[in-house]
This record gives sequence, C-alpha cells and structure tokens, in this order.
Amino acid sequence: MVKVTIDGTELEFAAGTSLFDACRTARGEALPHFCYHPDLSVAGVCRLCQVEVEGMPKLTIACNTTVREGMVVHTRSEKVRRAAQQILEMHLINHPVDCPICDQAGECGLQDQYMTYGLYESEVGKSDKVHKAKVQVIGPRVVLDKERCVLCSRCVRFCDEVTRTGELGIFNRGDRAEIGVAPGRQLDNAYSLNTVDICPVGALTSLDFRFKKRVWLLRSTPSLCHGCATGCSVRVDHEAGTVYRLKPRRNPAVNGAWMCDEGRDTYRELHADTRLREPLLRRDGALRPATWPEAWATLAAAAGPAAPLGFAVVSPRQSLEEIALFAHLAAVLGAPAAGVSGGAREADRGEGDDLLRSADRAPNRAALAWLGLDEPAGADLAARVRAARGAVLVYGADPAADAPGWREAVAGRTVIHLGTHRNATAESADIVIPLGAWAEKDGLLVNRQGRVQASRRAIARPGLAQEDWRFLADWLAAAGATEFPASLPDLRRWVAGRVPALAGVDLNALPPEGLVPGAVAAGAGGER
Amino acid sequence: MNGKVHGYGGKMTLWERLYLGEIFRGLGITIRHVIRNLLHTGDMPTVQYPEEHRAYSPRFRGRHRLMKREDGTPRCVACMMCSTACPADCIHIVAEEHPDPAIEKAPASFEIDLLRCVYCGLCEEACPCDAIRMDTGIYDLAADSREKFWVDKEFLLNNTTDGTR
Repeated sequence: MVKVTIDGTELEFAAGTSLFDACRTARGEALPHFCYHPDLSVAGVCRLCQVEVEGMPKLTIACNTTVREGMVVHTRSEKVRRAAQQILEMHLINHPVDCPICDQAGECGLQDQYMTYGLYESEVGKSDKVHKAKVQVIGPRVVLDKERCVLCSRCVRFCDEVTRTGELGIFNRGDRAEIGVAPGRQLDNAYSLNTVDICPVGALTSLDFRFKKRVWLLRSTPSLCHGCATGCSVRVDHEAGTVYRLKPRRNPAVNGAWMCDEGRDTYRELHADTRLREPLLRRDGALRPATWPEAWATLAAAAGPAAPLGFAVVSPRQSLEEIALFAHLAAVLGAPAAGVSGGAREADRGEGDDLLRSADRAPNRAALAWLGLDEPAGADLAARVRAARGAVLVYGADPAADAPGWREAVAGRTVIHLGTHRNATAESADIVIPLGAWAEKDGLLVNRQGRVQASRRAIARPGLAQEDWRFLADWLAAAGATEFPASLPDLRRWVAGRVPALAGVDLNALPPEGLVPGAVAAGAGGER
Repeated sequence: MNGKVHGYGGKMTLWERLYLGEIFRGLGITIRHVIRNLLHTGDMPTVQYPEEHRAYSPRFRGRHRLMKREDGTPRCVACMMCSTACPADCIHIVAEEHPDPAIEKAPASFEIDLLRCVYCGLCEEACPCDAIRMDTGIYDLAADSREKFWVDKEFLLNNTTDGTR
C-alpha cells in the first residue's frame, strides 16, 4: 500500500494503482477524459486527465501514471483547470459542432466536458475547420463521422485488444488524421456496436438506433440480456412503453463493459406483430380473442381436479421463480413429476465464441438443473408426451417448432400455451394465455457460471397480458392449492427454500453484479 | 355617464312609469350613434371582422410556420429541440435520413396539435436552425373537427406571414 495525498486528502492505494483510478476514488468523480477506459489498455492520447504532481516540472496525465509513496497531487488547481480547457479547445478546433443532428448529443463527452471545463468562445471560424467525410457506413451496424472524431483511439484498441479483429485504424497525420477501416474491410465483427458505446463523441453511431430517439428522452432500467446463457448485465433504454436500445452495464464478473450485437437486437421481439395481447380460445377451428373470465372457465375445464393435466413443458427462457412456481402448479394439476420438462434440448442453439456469446441461447438453463427438471431430446419429449394422458401445458417453449413428432403426439388433445408470441405452438394450441415478455416483468436468471442475477421490469405489458407469477399463483389458488405466493418477494423466499444451492441466499437483495451461491462462503466472484 | 342611474328595486318616477317616453329617449340615443357612425365611418370602434383584422404587434405569436431552404425543402433538421422544450407536448417529429450528407437529418413528418399548443414560443426560441417561427400573425383558428387542428409538415411549410394561407 502506498500513501498518496490527493487534493489535500491522504489516502492509501495498492501499489500499481493508476493515478486516474486513485483520483476517481478521491474525488468521487472521474477526471475529464476521452481515451482512458478501464477495460482497455492505456493510450494517453487525449491529454485531458492532466493533474499537478508536486515535484514534477510539468503537468502529467493521470491515466498513464501509477501511484507512488508520498505523491502529492492536485486535481482542482487553476493550472489543471486551464490545461483541461485548452486541451478541450484543441479537440474542438475541427469539430463540426453539429450537435442538433448528432445522435450522441445528450451523452457526449465533448458536450459534458465543455459544460464543466470549457465555456470559452471558439477562436476558430466554421469556414476555417478541416472537413472530413460524414455519414460513412463502415459496417452492417455502425456509421462513422470522421469530423466528429477526437482520435481517442478507444475503438481501435477495442478491435485490437478485445475482439482481436483489428478492422479499425488511425490514418494520416496532424489535423488530417482520421479513423477508418482498413481498405477492403468492414467493421463487421460480432461485437461491433461496443465501439459505438465507448466512442466518447458522435463519431461512431449505431445504424439501428440512428435518428430513432433523442437520448435525453430515454429512461434506463437495469436489466439482463436474455439472448444467451451468458446473461450480460444490460440497461434497457425505453420511452413511453417502447424499448429503443439495449446498452451494456459494466459488470466485471460477467461481461466487463461489453455485450454482443446479437444480444442488442433482442429488444425487437418485444414489439413484434406476433406479440400476444389477449387470451385466445379455439372456437370453430380457429383461435379467437376471448376475455379473461372465459379463459379461466376454459382452463378450469381443461386441466384441474376433474381433468388431471397430462404433461407440462417449460422453457429455460422463463425466470427462476416462474419455472419453480410452474413446476409446482403442474404437480398440483396432476402432471407426473417427471412430466415437467425443460423443452427440447436442441432448441435455443446458436453460434458461440470464447468472448461472451454462449452457444446456448437460453438465458436460464442452469435454473432447470437447480429445480431438478430434465431436458429430453426433441424426439424423446414427443414420445413422453404421447405416453402421458390428458391435456398438455406449454410455458414459453415452442416444441411444435423444436421437437420432432410433437404435432403427432398432441393430436386430438387439449394444448394450453402460456406465452408471449404467436409461435408455432400457440398457433396449434386450444387455449393461449398472454403473459409478460422479459422486459415487462421482474425475474431472476441463473447464467452459465451459476450466477443468479436480477432482471428488472422496464415497460408495461401490452393489452390484456398478465404478469406471469400472478397468473400462476391465481391458477394455483383456483386449483385448490394451499401453498401459493402472495407477492414476488414472498415467491423468491419460497424458491430459495426449495433449491438446496440457494440455502441462506436472500434472493430479494442480490448485489448488482449477481451472486454465485456456492462462492458466497468462499468469497470468490466466479470466473469471468 | 349622465342622468340618474336607478338600482333594481328603486322607485321609478311617474315619467318613467309612463314607459313610452323612456323608450323613445333610448331610441334617440341609438339613432344618434347610427347617424354619427355613418358620417364618420373612420372613427367607428367596430372592426369589420373577418374582412378586417386588428393590427397586432410584430412580436405577436400566431400560428407556427416552418421555414424553407432555398430549394424549398424544410430548414428543419429534426433535432427535436422544439418538441423537447414544448411544455404542452404538442410537437411530434419523426426524423429520417437526408440524401445530402452535409445536411444528414431531416423531418419525415412534423406535426403540431394546435389545440394543445399554448403559444408560448419556446419552440422558436429552442430552434438552432431558425426553422420554426410563430410570426404568421394568424390567430383565428376554426375547423369543424379536432383532426383538422392536427397540422402536418406541408401545412406548416405553406403558412405565410401576410395573414393569408
């Protein structure tokens, strides 16, 4: 440990800590910066984070300095302030100041730091600025504006160090230096939109989000990506019930500061035309909209004390609480315990890599194992459904599309589909119940590390769709069960009591980075 | 005001109770005004609305108009500053790509709900491009349905400053 005095306060830091991080701790806010990023190497090119260190003849950049015993640092002196202002003025010399049409406006480093440190009159006329190419589509998802760039090189370092694909580079010198893709190449790796996130200005913007919404109108809800078993921490940006984009939320234990491009697209299904908005009942051979009382009456006749449920299938896309409550409901309704299945094993497979993307596209498969539910292969699933008698209940899964032989197995039987979209199973079902999609409800997911994380409700459910746990609890009560949850915290306590791995874990107070139950006692954070 | 003013319930004189005398006195006042107005039409306080409009200050905020570039396309770049500043939430803009990369962004639609508008002028103050102005002087809004007060980009681009449409 070394003792450092920052702005008059003496603090201790581990040897090797960067002065930038030490100043962030001491000040409670970061120094002004463009090029520094905690998950990338130090470049030291933007020169904004200069601080005064006693004994050094000139100001020094904090990001490329490590703390030293007895260092006395000033970050708020007039000299430091003037340096930041002058560096900022240099960054803005050739900046087009086209904030009105820039998607970054509202979350822009140049804007924010000008308001804090700048506030000067520009001495460079608009006609004197060096102009560069604008609106260059450099990949399937990213738009480049070379004029707005401050050459911080974060995006170049990201492509070199994180994805190791090296598409981007800085070309030319002096005021003609510009970011660009290597000739004949495109920025088309699976993580390309992270360059947009880390771009401190509006040089790199997202093609998908382009001109959709001004960012200051968006509200953010901390959530989880439901795209694969990695369970990246994300932020859902939404306004007036519509989700506009997903952004990664920094979680060093899972995804660092990144997320994949595919995961960012998962918000689209929330507003798809196939989203279920009301209960559907099959009448005269076709699915027709119905009211909730009609749906409840049909449900009671199809599965209950009078007509025991034959088989139940739940998808590993549902939350931990929902799967646990659903399995309990299926048992109460009469399905044999072995009849509750996690859907076809082959479903939800995709391309994976060693960075973040998991080949398992289901976000909560680990929860099935915790709750003792198996996942037969598709053909086995159909065979087991065929062997059981009575109605078939499907929750979230789409076995009609995933499991070979499913349609033959359920032919002539009542199929109840609890879900969010009109998928193949819903189309062939007799009763379709609309429930909440992932951004419309609170829920816990267990990722591939065995880490329990909380996903939060961002938007309201459409139409007559009901909250999942409340619907399942209502059905339990209607079926005569004595044990059903009264609230979500109540349900989480009940789930923690049923899963041996969760003994002693308070699911209602998870830390923001999630928690690996076995590692709680050991004090380890789990592998990345 | 000359003459006596009687409150309600006051006692009327015999002359007043005779009725016809007071009626003719009142008619006399009316006829006197008619003749004076006919002889001095310029001094008449009545404004012949809608043929005639009262002159308003040039700073008067009337119905909005959208300014055009030299080529006739809207000056607006769909930055949403006006709709953000609007306290009545009456401006609805959808942005689109402009074919010219030097302009980059343009409004695909620009709609104002004139019934929600409170004519505060914050939109023209917020506009960085001087694209929206409230200098048309138009204040007489009339239509036979609410939908007709929901005006679109074409309508706003064709509003003029001379009070006609």
